[in-house]
Amino acid sequence: MIKEKKIALVNAGKYNPESIDEYLALGGYNKVKKALQKNPVDIIDLLIDAKLRGRGGAGFPTGLKNKFTNESVCERCVQKYIVCNADEGEPGTFKDRVIMEQDPHVLIEGLIIAAFAIGATKGYIYVRGEYTKSIQMLQVALQQAKEKGFLGENMLNTGFDLDIEIKLGAGSYLCGEELTLLESLEGKRGYPRIKPPFPAEKGLFGMPTLINNVETFAHLPYIIEHGAEHYKSMGTEKSPGTKIFTISGDVNKPGYYETPMGVTLRSLIDDLAGGMKDNKKFKAAILGGAAGTFVDETVLDTSMGFDTLKEKGAVLGSGAIIVMSEERSIFDMTYSILEFFKHESCGKCVPCRIGTAQLMIMMDKAKENSTIKSQVLDQLIYEADYMAKNSLCPLGQSPILPLKSLKKYFHHQF
Amino acid sequence: MDKSALISDFEPTNDNMLNILHRLQNNNPNNYLTTEDLNLVAEYLNTTYSSVYGVAKYYSMFSLKPRSKNIIRICKSPVCHMISGKSLIEIIENVLDIKMGGTTSDMLFTLEPSECLGHCAQAPVMMINDKMYTDLNEDKIKEILEKIRNNNPTKKLS
Amino acid sequence: MSKLVNIIIDGKKLKGPEGANLLQVAKDNGIKIPSLCYHKKLSPTGACRLCVVKIKDVNGLVMSCTVAVKDGMEITAFDNELEETRKHTLDYLLAEHNEHADGTYSDEFRDWITHYKLDNPKNRKYPSFFKDLDYKLDDSSPVLTYDATKCIKCFRCIKACDEVQGKNVLSFSERGITSYIIAGFDQWNESECDGCGECVQLCPTGALVEKPHRDKIQLEKMEKKVKTTCPYCGVGCQIELLVQNGKIVRSNGVEGVWPNDGRLCVKGRFGYDYVHSPERLTTPLIKKNGKFEEAGWDEALDLIARKFTEIKEKYGNDALAGYASAKCTNEDNYLFQKFIRMVFGTNNIDYCTRLCHASTVTAMLKSIGDGAGSNSIQDFATTDCLFVTGNNMIETHPVTATYVKNGIYAGKKLIVCDPKWTPLVKYADIWIQPRLGTDIALLNGMIRVIIKEDLIDEEFIRKRVDGGLDAFEELKQLVEKYTPEKTEEITSVPKEKMMAAARMYATSETSMIATGMGMSQQVTGTNNVFSLINMMLITGQIGKERAGIDPPRGQNNVQGATDVGCSPIIYPGYIPVTDEENRKRIAKLWNVDYENLSAKPGLTTVEIMHAAYDDKIKGLFIMGENPMVTDPDLNHTEQALKKMDFLVVQDIFHTETTPFADVILPASSFAEKDGTFVNSDRRVLRVRKAVEMPGEAEEDWKIIVKIAEQMGYDIGNYQNASEIFDEIAQAAPMMAGISYDRIEYEGIQWPCPTKDHPGTDTLFLDKFNTPNGKAILNPVEHVPQTEKTSKAFPFIMNSGRILYHYHTATMSRKNKALTDFANESYVLMNTGDVVKYDFKDGQKVKVTSKQGVLETTLRASDHVAVGELFMPWHYSESPVNRLTRSDLDPFSKIAAFKLTACKVEKV
Repeated sequence: MIKEKKIALVNAGKYNPESIDEYLALGGYNKVKKALQKNPVDIIDLLIDAKLRGRGGAGFPTGLKNKFTNESVCERCVQKYIVCNADEGEPGTFKDRVIMEQDPHVLIEGLIIAAFAIGATKGYIYVRGEYTKSIQMLQVALQQAKEKGFLGENMLNTGFDLDIEIKLGAGSYLCGEELTLLESLEGKRGYPRIKPPFPAEKGLFGMPTLINNVETFAHLPYIIEHGAEHYKSMGTEKSPGTKIFTISGDVNKPGYYETPMGVTLRSLIDDLAGGMKDNKKFKAAILGGAAGTFVDETVLDTSMGFDTLKEKGAVLGSGAIIVMSEERSIFDMTYSILEFFKHESCGKCVPCRIGTAQLMIMMDKAKENSTIKSQVLDQLIYEADYMAKNSLCPLGQSPILPLKSLKKYFHHQF
Repeated sequence: MDKSALISDFEPTNDNMLNILHRLQNNNPNNYLTTEDLNLVAEYLNTTYSSVYGVAKYYSMFSLKPRSKNIIRICKSPVCHMISGKSLIEIIENVLDIKMGGTTSDMLFTLEPSECLGHCAQAPVMMINDKMYTDLNEDKIKEILEKIRNNNPTKKLS
Repeated sequence: MSKLVNIIIDGKKLKGPEGANLLQVAKDNGIKIPSLCYHKKLSPTGACRLCVVKIKDVNGLVMSCTVAVKDGMEITAFDNELEETRKHTLDYLLAEHNEHADGTYSDEFRDWITHYKLDNPKNRKYPSFFKDLDYKLDDSSPVLTYDATKCIKCFRCIKACDEVQGKNVLSFSERGITSYIIAGFDQWNESECDGCGECVQLCPTGALVEKPHRDKIQLEKMEKKVKTTCPYCGVGCQIELLVQNGKIVRSNGVEGVWPNDGRLCVKGRFGYDYVHSPERLTTPLIKKNGKFEEAGWDEALDLIARKFTEIKEKYGNDALAGYASAKCTNEDNYLFQKFIRMVFGTNNIDYCTRLCHASTVTAMLKSIGDGAGSNSIQDFATTDCLFVTGNNMIETHPVTATYVKNGIYAGKKLIVCDPKWTPLVKYADIWIQPRLGTDIALLNGMIRVIIKEDLIDEEFIRKRVDGGLDAFEELKQLVEKYTPEKTEEITSVPKEKMMAAARMYATSETSMIATGMGMSQQVTGTNNVFSLINMMLITGQIGKERAGIDPPRGQNNVQGATDVGCSPIIYPGYIPVTDEENRKRIAKLWNVDYENLSAKPGLTTVEIMHAAYDDKIKGLFIMGENPMVTDPDLNHTEQALKKMDFLVVQDIFHTETTPFADVILPASSFAEKDGTFVNSDRRVLRVRKAVEMPGEAEEDWKIIVKIAEQMGYDIGNYQNASEIFDEIAQAAPMMAGISYDRIEYEGIQWPCPTKDHPGTDTLFLDKFNTPNGKAILNPVEHVPQTEKTSKAFPFIMNSGRILYHYHTATMSRKNKALTDFANESYVLMNTGDVVKYDFKDGQKVKVTSKQGVLETTLRASDHVAVGELFMPWHYSESPVNRLTRSDLDPFSKIAAFKLTACKVEKV
């Protein structure tokens, strides 16, 4: 029987998020105090040692990202930036919202620690426009943190300055992609930039920038407090620490659950999410959201980690788990996913702009004429494969994920 | 009407574009951005017209056409779609007697589709202005809409 | 310059600069990797995905336009998988594309489709669905059409507008597959689009196409494409004229050559229709009984010769004068001044430059020895600080302004000094708005700040300024009284701004000055420019690259006409008329007796008019000038012209001046002859014949030769324009090394003293062109303007140009594309004044000065300061110069066009 283990959510629900005093009473901002006494390079080494990986979906080693940004120097680089990606848009994902609504201060602490590590004196939290409560909580928390001297000039008399602002998104999934987020933050249409250069070298306003997901930042205070070894003692070797899994769909207790990495899907569904709803039979789970993968019951006992799932042709992604019971239609779900991509495509690159439209044309044909459904899957995969190899950004590179997993696990069901 | 006071707390830098557009749209009883608004932003940020217009047209939360007092954004992303099926959208369309994208004749409700609103554990979900409504079903929807109607007694029932 | 590294593409060993764009390096080496969204003038986009390649040790497919070349890279550009992928991409594009082609545009997309045999529908896999997408057509612009059904969304137009022209007018609307290009709020003609057409030139498909003549153009039927130089302003853009059925139907910018690298403004791109206007003069016209009658050349030439000879014999050589033309070629102008000196025997030759940069040139010649810009156009983008004063650059020198904008986006600084708001102010770090006529006080104030804060370049002063620190001391004493407070009092510029500007200019690594009419066209014009030069010299901001002073020249060949000697005080090559040795040399070159060349300096442009009014000038030969719009105090000018015994006007159209002529001769436009112009950065540029002259019109230089012949003089037997230029090269030492064969591809900047000299981009690197090689300081005092406001005349009128028209608009108003943008006179008045004097925006008003009166429309505007007015002077129905006065600057003899006391009344 697995149990929750909380790092990002350690204080969530334990205090009134609109009262910093309550947070302080829980030992809040002690990690910031501790971090600001250290050498920035030591903090980075600590993160590298802890093998913390990004929790937004890509799983890139956070320590390395910090290192690159810290080391980035150039003549015209007058300022470094830290950006929090709170544009949570992956269907099935709502973990960041929970952190921001219930414990905004852990995010602020994480931001301060990371900003200090890389030498950034200006930070932005890019929150999707629909998350009104999160925005409200963050606004209050930032204000109060500033009043207490945890933000602003010469924080805690260490000579370090950091100012954090909230910037709103306005209804674009793609703006949750790093490089597109930067464009949106600069006040423009959400088109992804070509990389290289990477944000560590040339990010916001052309300056070295560190961008990480809300949940990733929320892990930093813990690591500062307890050290790398302790952190690595949880989870798996390649994916240490914990993860907030957001489980929705045909389960009895849909919701958010933070556990060590490496737990099985079965244990998540049965032990934490209350098992299948109305005792229905498990058909499929979509792991990682729309840019995710279908898995069948053969994956129920696989360890949920970045690499362990990859071996099974699945992705961990944002940690979204959408559970489908035997009554649900794989075809309908696929239709919905592909429609989502078409709606969110920015239109910049040819493979994705036209590819996502082509995929829908094929799905519409298959919807009208179910006899061709099985052939259509191969056609879809062919197009999605071309899109994956040629698209400019992860959106165009995503449809192949669910489609390929369908072929592997559900082609007869399509 | 001089709306520049509404946005004067923002630095006139381009990175405040979205924040400023939200502020102006939210202050409009018809929840949209007028041509004067776009002109104001272009002048305030010292930028070109298309830089403002192009942004307003890219992001799905902005509208350049007048909408109602209550913007209903119903989630049609995979999870809500699976849990509710298309039926909930049809239900709202029937109750309000409009099609997706339309506005009721009494200018009380506009129905718009939305992608994932991040409350998947309580699907199906919709937002009305900045309030989230979860665990929806036909009865609940009717109740919510009726309540809003009743809070606007001068508006005739459709 | 980055070092060259070795790479291999498909087994071929190549070299390329380290860090360069891989796609470009491949192209430069003849490997044509398919691409559509890439263009060498723009930053890479990565939208079309055609340039896909494989790189050894790199996973997956890579877009070569996003790759920086590194030593040892091994690239596969063409293999089966890559070609199939490209086909797939093109096939995708076809699905959203309207393939209907009308032959009016070149289509890179279509070329690739054909290359991959996708023009055959059997080879395609995807059904076309563009019709379902309901794409729009925006036909509202006067000069172009945007058809979204043909758009491949490559971003080239947006980037062209942003990165090349610095205008940011375009964007996409909507998202995903329904995206399309918009200008402004999705209505092209109501956006900021000024019709420069950079987007059209860079569009790879038929999405953006020029409107004019589109119903007639068939690119396949194009007779010829002729490269030549734009006839409008002094930037000297290289254009390529497309000729079909003997008519010019399109003008494109020529890429890859200086000065414009393919950039144009609306006039250069769409202002060629006047060449074929039915109003062109086609026969000589002789005034008989007050009316003009058509005549043959023989009759006209005979009459002219007789009359001029009569005047010469009766009143003497100096009773004759000539106006050369800033629009005509160097060859035309050189022969004109040769004619005036040889045949008329006088130095009374001048032209509209006297009305324009005379002060600038006079001051520059005196202090640094050269009256032409010291730098080159590309320096406008790379200098660290640009100080623009009295120059509405974005409207008057649009392409130069694009380089300025490029620099600003790269972080360079801009200071704008102008009493009136101009579009350049939007980009400025500091805008100084002094009261009209207070420039010397402002500059002396700035000089004082620079001295007091020890921002001078002492070494430069000691080594390169005549009189060194002693001369500097004189300047220092003079500016002492121009304290920040005093300066603010005189100029009304807040002292903090003035000081900030002074510091910025002085402390930048390199600073350049661009000075225009605002400084030159005043009675203190020469002194204004002296004080600019003083500031430049004490800070050492000249005599090194990217630093100096660059007056953007107005006309397409105003620089050249003086270079080849159309001046009362200098011969070709800027050698004074009074220089005996030179006159001897020229006499030998011209094969005349040296005694017959007058040593007496002649009269300047306005002096000639004054002299005509005083019955001293009896005969005048005008080539391509329109004094009845350009000269100050038009009422007076009109009287002067009427008094003349004999007036010949040689032009391509009837103008406001031709009614006063005794004989009108039909001449050639720029598109109908070979020749050269010299632009603002001293570049000698080719002009080439593209179409035939209408009717019996003749080339200007040939007319001059014939008149000379008729008067009994042989001023040269030239087979073609090239031979004339060869003689110019002998007369003007700074052009000695230039000849047509050397400027076939790209112009050369003088000084170019020998045949193997490459030309000079920056002047004064070693020494100044003064007798001792050092620059001269000329401390000057501010003097309050004599033109003051009074109760009767409470406003000061400023005048200037706008983007869409050119000077007297004899050419520009004959193009529909330009008149669609603007065609109406107006006067700008400060909104506060409009209220104060109880006017209404848009109302008809009468504007009066001591000199004259006109009617126009009032426009309320915050672009002008309180108490000041502005009128564009292009519209002869409301001729601004009826109001202006002919008070002259004592040194440059320029009139004070920029300040006239006026009153405004309702009509």
